[in-house]
Amino acid sequence: MKISLNWIKDFVNLDGISVNEIVNKLTMSGLEVEDYVDQNEKYSGIIVGLVKDVQKHPNADKLTVCTVFDGKNDLQIVCGAPNVEIGQNVAFAPIGTLIPKGKMEMKKVKIRGIESNGMICAEDELELSDDHSGIMILSDEFSTGTAISEALKLNDVLLEIAITPNRPDALSHIGVARDLSAIFNRELRIPKLDFQESQKDIKQLATVEIEDKINCPRYSAKVVTGLAIKESPEWLQNKLTKIGLRPINNVVDVTNFIQHELGQPLHAFDLDQLAGKKIIVKSLTEELKFTTLDSKQRVLPSGTMMICDGNREVAIAGVMGGENSEVTESTKNILIESAYFNPTSIRKTSKKLQLATDSSYRFERGTDPSNTVFAAQRAAQLIASIAGGEIAKGIIDQYPVTIKQKEITFRLARMKKLLGYEVPKSEVIKIFQKLGINLLKDMVESLEVIVPAHRPDIEREADLIEEVARISGYEKIPVIEKVSITLHKRKDDFDLEDKIRENAVGLGFNEMVNNPLILESDAKVTGSPIEISNPQSQDMAYLRTSLLVSALPVISNNIKKGEKDLAVFEIGNVFKRLNNRISTFSDFEEKKKLLFIITGKKQSRQWYSGETEYDIFDLKGLINVFLSKFSLDNVLNDSYNSIQNINYDYHFTINIKDSVFGDGGKVSKSVIKIFDINQSVYSFEFDLEIFRKLSGERRTFKELLKYPKVNRDFAFLFDKSINYTLVKDFILKESSEILKSVELFDLFENKEISKDKKSMAFNLEYYDYNRTLTDEEVDKDFQNLISKVSNKFNAILRGK
Amino acid sequence: MQHSEIEKIKSDFDQEIENASTAGDIEQVRIKYLSRNGIITKLFVELKSISGEDKPIFGRLLNNLRNSATESFHNKKSIIETEQSSKSTNLDFSLPGKSIKIGSRHILTQTLFEIKSIFKGLGFSVYDGPELESDYYNFEALNFPPDHPARDMQDTFFISEKFLLRTHTTPVQIRIMEKEQPPIRAIMPGRVYRNEAISSRSYCMFHQVDGIYVDNDVSFAELKGTLVSFAEQFYGEGLKYRFRPSFFPFTEPSAEMDITCYICKGKGCRVCKHSGWLEILGCGMVDPNVFKYVNYDTEKYTGYAFGMGIERIAMLKYGIDDIRIFFENDLRFLKQF
Repeated sequence: MKISLNWIKDFVNLDGISVNEIVNKLTMSGLEVEDYVDQNEKYSGIIVGLVKDVQKHPNADKLTVCTVFDGKNDLQIVCGAPNVEIGQNVAFAPIGTLIPKGKMEMKKVKIRGIESNGMICAEDELELSDDHSGIMILSDEFSTGTAISEALKLNDVLLEIAITPNRPDALSHIGVARDLSAIFNRELRIPKLDFQESQKDIKQLATVEIEDKINCPRYSAKVVTGLAIKESPEWLQNKLTKIGLRPINNVVDVTNFIQHELGQPLHAFDLDQLAGKKIIVKSLTEELKFTTLDSKQRVLPSGTMMICDGNREVAIAGVMGGENSEVTESTKNILIESAYFNPTSIRKTSKKLQLATDSSYRFERGTDPSNTVFAAQRAAQLIASIAGGEIAKGIIDQYPVTIKQKEITFRLARMKKLLGYEVPKSEVIKIFQKLGINLLKDMVESLEVIVPAHRPDIEREADLIEEVARISGYEKIPVIEKVSITLHKRKDDFDLEDKIRENAVGLGFNEMVNNPLILESDAKVTGSPIEISNPQSQDMAYLRTSLLVSALPVISNNIKKGEKDLAVFEIGNVFKRLNNRISTFSDFEEKKKLLFIITGKKQSRQWYSGETEYDIFDLKGLINVFLSKFSLDNVLNDSYNSIQNINYDYHFTINIKDSVFGDGGKVSKSVIKIFDINQSVYSFEFDLEIFRKLSGERRTFKELLKYPKVNRDFAFLFDKSINYTLVKDFILKESSEILKSVELFDLFENKEISKDKKSMAFNLEYYDYNRTLTDEEVDKDFQNLISKVSNKFNAILRGK
Repeated sequence: MQHSEIEKIKSDFDQEIENASTAGDIEQVRIKYLSRNGIITKLFVELKSISGEDKPIFGRLLNNLRNSATESFHNKKSIIETEQSSKSTNLDFSLPGKSIKIGSRHILTQTLFEIKSIFKGLGFSVYDGPELESDYYNFEALNFPPDHPARDMQDTFFISEKFLLRTHTTPVQIRIMEKEQPPIRAIMPGRVYRNEAISSRSYCMFHQVDGIYVDNDVSFAELKGTLVSFAEQFYGEGLKYRFRPSFFPFTEPSAEMDITCYICKGKGCRVCKHSGWLEILGCGMVDPNVFKYVNYDTEKYTGYAFGMGIERIAMLKYGIDDIRIFFENDLRFLKQF
C-alpha cells in the first residue's frame, strides 16, 4: 500500500526524526516498508530557472542555444524542445544533479560543438508523467533558484508498505500514523469535525433499512444536497495522485480520500436515482445480471448481499456500486454510505465474482465498526466545502447488532514466559494507550484492557503480547545462548532416502527433482490420475502416477539438448486415484517411490575402449549392486518374474509377499514414442515404504574364509530355449553343499555350432569354511554335475 | 689363491656388468662368472684344497664376492628389463586417465541435507508428511479460518473441496502433535505447491523446511537463539541478522528473520532490493488456537515454529538466478554439483 509521509504528518508530529529512522522503525514494528521514494532526494539540485535568451543552434536545425539564469549566474544551455521561449520559468537541472529518469548524472557536454551546462527538463525526465513533447513550463510566481521540490510540492516521502492480512487498521494513513505515534511516543491527532447543517432533516430525505442484519451490522449515511460536481481542488488531486489514485470528480475523490485517510470505504449514491429515496440492504434470492459502475455486466449469484433502493439493486454491498446510481456530472444530491459489513460475506462475494476492489479489500479484512458515523460526517464536511451544497441535518445510523469490544486479561508473567524477557509494566501501559487499547483495571500482576474496534486481530492475551513486543522492538528480546536438548524419541524419516542417494551417486547416477504436475495423457500412462481442479495450464493439470511419467519428458528434453547418455534417479511421491470423489484420505493413494533410469551409451568412445550402449543387463546389474548395499542381496536373484505389461518390452517385478517392491524393464516403444524419445530407455521403480521395512534387517559380520577355494569350469551346448537361471538353479540344487557359487562366464551362439544351440560356460566355486577340500571330493561332485546337467537338459559337454 | 686374485675378479666382474647393455650381454656375464663352470664358482672348488687358518678367511671372502656379484647381476638385469619393456611398448604416459562415472545429488536435496544436519545437531528429529493434504491440516488446524484473507497468502491448488496440494510443510506439525505429547522438537522438510505464475523468481512447486519445538517453557528468546545458531552454522559466523514482526495465522507473535545480504554485504543491491537485508525465514510462537486443535494445554505449553524455503536459500548460496533450472533437470546442471 502507498503511504504519503506528508499526509501522515497531518496526524502525528514527526519533527526531528529522519526518513531512514521512520522507515526502519516501521519495518521493525511489523509494517514492512518494501520501498520508498524521498522526493527531496529525488529532485535534489533541480531548480526553477529563467530562460533569458533563445538563439538558433549554428549547427543543428532542431536545437536552440538558451541562456538560463539559475538565480546567480547566466548559463549556456543547448535545448531540443520546440516550446522553449524567452521569459519562461523552467525546471532546470544544473551540472552534477541526478536526472530522476534513468538516474543519470548531469555533466558538462558539447552538443554539436556548443557547450551545454545543464538541462531544461520535460515532465517525463522528472517522472511526473510520460510527456516528452516539450519542456515543462512553470508558473511565473516562482522565484528563480527555488528548489523544484519546494515549488512543485515534490517534497514528500512515498512509502510502499506491505500490510499483512491481520492489520486492516493499517490500511489507512491514520492507521499508520497511530503505529508511528506509539513507536515514537508522540500524540495522535484525529481530524476535528467542523460543519454546518441545513434545516432539512435527513430523515425526510432518505431512509435506510437493513434486512440482512448478520452481514450488515451497521449502516450509517449522510446526505448532501445542492452540490455541483466538478474537478477537485489541487490539494486533493495531489494527495490522491501521490498514492497512485486517479482523480475523478470532487465527490468520488472525497470518498477515496476518506478511505485512504480513515480506512473506511464509502460510497456516494446519486440520491435522485434512488427510487423512493430508500436504501435496503438485503441478499439476492436468485441470480441477477447487474451492471457495475465500471460498465461491466456481471452475473451475481443468489445470496450476494446487495444495496437496493425502493425497487431495484443499486450496488454490490462493500464491493462496487452500480452504474444505475453512480454520481455523474449532473448529480445534485448525494447519499454517502458508510457501513460495516461482515468480512466473510464480502470476501465470499469478492471471490465468487473475482472482483477485488479497494473497498472489498478493506471490508474483508475488517473495518472499524465504531467509525462509520465519523467517516460519513467527515466526508460530508469535505464535500460541502469543495462542491458546495448543504449537509442535511442529522445522520442515519442503523446499528441493529451491536459489536462488542473485547475485554482481555494481560498477565505480565505470561508475557515473560512467552517472550523470555520482561517489559516493565509502565511501558506496557504506555504502549497500550498509544495503540488505543484502554486500561480498565490494573491488578498489579495483570492488566484488564479493552480492545478498540479498529483492531479485530487482537482477540487474546497472545495478541496483546505481540503488540508489546513489536512496539518495544523484537531486538530487545534476548538471544539465548544455551538450550537443553531432547534426549529421547529421536528419529529421522529421511535416513533411508539419504542412504539411497549416497549409493545411487556412487553408482554413477545423477539425481533429478521433477515437477509432479504433468499433462493428463502422460499421467494416464501408469494409472488413474488425480486432477487439479484449478490448474495453471493443461501441461500441469494432473499429478504423476509414477516417477517414470514425470521423468520421461525430462529425459526427452535432455536428449534434444544433446545429453543422450543418462543415468538418473529420483525420490518422490506419486499419486493414484482410488475413487471418483476425493473426500477422504482413503479415496486416493500417495506413495513415495525411487526411480532409476538408464539410457544411451554406458561408455562413450575412448582411446582404451569402444563405445557400449546400456542394455537390460546393465539395469539388472545396477539394481542388484544397489540392493546389495541394503543387505538385500537375497531379495533379488536373477529370477525376475517376467510378466506382460503394456508399458515395457521386457518387464520385471520383484514381489515381497503380496506387494510389488519394485518393477521396471525396457520401456516400451509405444511409451517412449509418447514422450518423443527414440532411443532405448531402461527404468526401475521401487516402493520406498516396502524398502523401509526390508532394509531394517541388520547385516552381521561373516567370518572371512580361511581355507582355499577350488574352481572348476565347464561348458555345455544347450538348446536355445533353455535359460540360464534354470540351469544355474539346477546346478546349485544338485550339487553337494561344498559348491558355493555358480557364475556364467561365457555365452556363445553362432551358426557354426548350430543355429538352435547356444554354449554356456560356468565357473563353479567350491570351498568350506571349516576345512580344506580334497581334489577327490570336488572332482566327484563336478563329475556328478556334468552327467546330471547333460541328462537333464540334453546338453553336450564341450571341450572334451 | 691370492687376495689380489679375488680383487681382480671382482673388479673385472663389476666392469663387465657395467658394460652389459642387453639381456644377452648380461646373461653372458652370468655364465662367465656365476654358472656351474663360472669363474667364481670354480674358486669354491679351489677353496677345498686350502687348509689351515686361511680356509675360513678365504671362505668368507668368496661368499662375499658371490653375494655381491649375484646382487649386482639382478639389479642390472631388472634395469635392463624395465628399459626394454618401455622401449618395446613405447608407452605414452601423458595419455588421459580412464574415466570412472560418479553421480551427483540434486543441489536441492544437498541443501536440505545440510539444513537437516544442522538441526539434528541441535536436537531436532526429522519427520515426513503427505503432499496431498486435507484442508483441515493445511489450513483449518493451522488457524486459517475458511474465507479468511490469510488464505490469500498462499495460492492453492485444489483437488476437491476438502483436499489440496499442501502449500507449506507446516501441516506436518499438526500430524506430529496429534500423535505425540510434548516435548516435541522436530523439523519437517518436503515439497510444497503454490498456484503462482511461473517466472524466474517463482515456481508452482518448491521445497520447505518447517520446524517446531513445544515444551513447558519455550520462549521467543530461545527461538532467536536457535535460529541464530542455525544461521551461523549455515551461512558462517559473524553474520548480522534481525527479527522483525510479521504475520502467520499459526504463530503469535510472528516474525521474519533477515540476514545481511551477502551479495552486497548490506550496502544495498538488486538481490536485496536495496535494503541490505535478505529474508531467510518466517517464525514465531505457536498460536494458542493451534494447540487447541491438537488438545494441548495452552497454559502449560508454549512452543516456537519456523519455516524456510529451500530454493531461495540455494539460489542465493550458489548464485542461481532462475528457479526453473532446478526442475528442468538438465544433466549439465545436475553434474555441476
